[in-house]
Amino acid sequence: MDKLFRLKPLEQAVVQLILIVWSAIVLFPIGIAVLNSLKPNLGEVYKAPFALPSTWSFGNYSQAWFGAHFSTYFLNSAIISLSCVVIVTVCASTSAFVIVRMPFRGSGFIFGCFMLGVVIPIRLAMAPLFVIVKSLNLLDSLLGVILVQSASMMPVAVFILTAFLRAVPAELEDAAKMDGALPFEIYWRVVLPLVRPALATVALLTFVQSWNEYFLPLIFLRSEQNFPITLGMTQFRLQFDVQWHLMFAGILIMLIPTIVAFLLASRQFIEGLTQGGLKE
Amino acid sequence: MAKTSYKTKAKWQRVALLTPGALLYGIFNFLPLLGLLALCLVDWPGIGPMKFVGLDNFLQLFGNPFYRDQLIKAFGQNLIFFAIIIGAMLVFGTFLALLLSFRTWGRNFYRSIFFLPYPLAGAAVAFLLELIVRTKGPLNVLIVQGLHLSGKPIGFLGDPLLALPTLAAFYSWHRMSFAIILILSAIVAVRVHLIEAAMLDGANRRQTLRAVVFPVLAPAFILIVVIVMVDVFNNADYTLLLMGPEGAPARATDIMGTFLFRSAFGGAATSVNVNFGMSAAIGLVTAVAILPAAIFLALRNLRKD
Repeated sequence: MDKLFRLKPLEQAVVQLILIVWSAIVLFPIGIAVLNSLKPNLGEVYKAPFALPSTWSFGNYSQAWFGAHFSTYFLNSAIISLSCVVIVTVCASTSAFVIVRMPFRGSGFIFGCFMLGVVIPIRLAMAPLFVIVKSLNLLDSLLGVILVQSASMMPVAVFILTAFLRAVPAELEDAAKMDGALPFEIYWRVVLPLVRPALATVALLTFVQSWNEYFLPLIFLRSEQNFPITLGMTQFRLQFDVQWHLMFAGILIMLIPTIVAFLLASRQFIEGLTQGGLKE
Repeated sequence: MAKTSYKTKAKWQRVALLTPGALLYGIFNFLPLLGLLALCLVDWPGIGPMKFVGLDNFLQLFGNPFYRDQLIKAFGQNLIFFAIIIGAMLVFGTFLALLLSFRTWGRNFYRSIFFLPYPLAGAAVAFLLELIVRTKGPLNVLIVQGLHLSGKPIGFLGDPLLALPTLAAFYSWHRMSFAIILILSAIVAVRVHLIEAAMLDGANRRQTLRAVVFPVLAPAFILIVVIVMVDVFNNADYTLLLMGPEGAPARATDIMGTFLFRSAFGGAATSVNVNFGMSAAIGLVTAVAILPAAIFLALRNLRKD
């Protein structure tokens, strides 16, 4: 069967050429950003955007970091994303556990409600959500954004985790039950270890999405000291728009955590994504 | 005695396990979705008293030229935006996934490069690519000085005709790896079972691809179409970030996401017509417009299994 996928030398060359072209399209903006973020002044960015910098100015990064409250934005983003990861993995896994493993009258209805959230994105209901957040006095607070962002990611997380839980055999659990283990114990000692790959997938998806979320903080945060890095970039852009080399440095600082997180878990993540997507 | 106490304990623990997730989702996601139904019946600028107006928001939206023209333009442009993106993702995504499924040298290396843009933030992608396509940016330097394709720099985002396709290209650049992942995994999944049979029957490569590989790509295609459609018709990150809530230039990049944002939170110049009821109505109209297609496609996917 491998005959189909083996390539003749000429074919190999053509395929290589096409793949290199697409790699270039992908890498060009990122490479240009790296190159120009290290240039000592704006003149070099304008005159020769493709040339190597005359002196490698790593100081741009610290200038971007300290010049525009970047540390504050970065810290806010870290607080928001990590809180979301904890809240979503805990809440979604407990909910999915009860729905799949301890069904009761009404659990199907609860599952249906979660599925509604998968189909209709919360952004459509921005106005009612705004009213609720406002009446709970959570406007312009990190806690408010954390709760809103976690809730917005709950449906997909529950969806993925229920799918995984269904696939896990119930024998271990039944054995634990025979030994008199209570639901907390079963969840913590039996089920969690079994769905660890799925949990890792959910955690990474949640981290990347909440780190990158722009729209929800834009609506629920007002004061600059609460801004995550996505909103901070907008401020940063107003301040440094003319100074491209600093802009590039700022953008790259913003990218680093997501790339690191992605690389750390890319294998598991990609497998999880395709599983959740195609096995339904 | 011991058994009943175990049962009650188990019951309470079940409640305790379910409550946090259900409360979190219920308050900050499900209630707002229900509220959408109620809110589209009022006129409310966000502060002060709500005024019940019945179906007036919908009548205004479809009857009043001020809103109707915006709605038609935003929806039409959203369709174009979606068509460009989904076309690019399916054509290039399938093509690249096929090439990666062959025994290509360094295909794992290419795969990780292709995935690189996926985890990037929309805001970062928007700013980064905007810097690249500026009139004085690297792309224009390449076009004018390097390849001599054009006498003067092209204003990709300033030109009303080019702005929307440029934003669609940004989106496609960012999300292409999503299509590649799903299509590639579909191809890899069928390789083993079906292709063997086809080869035994003496089919050549093109016949095998057409008869065996492409049909099983349909579920992956549907998944991509639904996810991208829900995303593109509701979100407008790139447009809001780069073009503002008015969808500059001259609303040439206005899509449903910007229209909805503008009607709830005000545009750049006019914040007079701010009405949360109207934005709820727009949201509902969008949902109703895309839900049938999404459900139809999703059902097709289910039936296949």
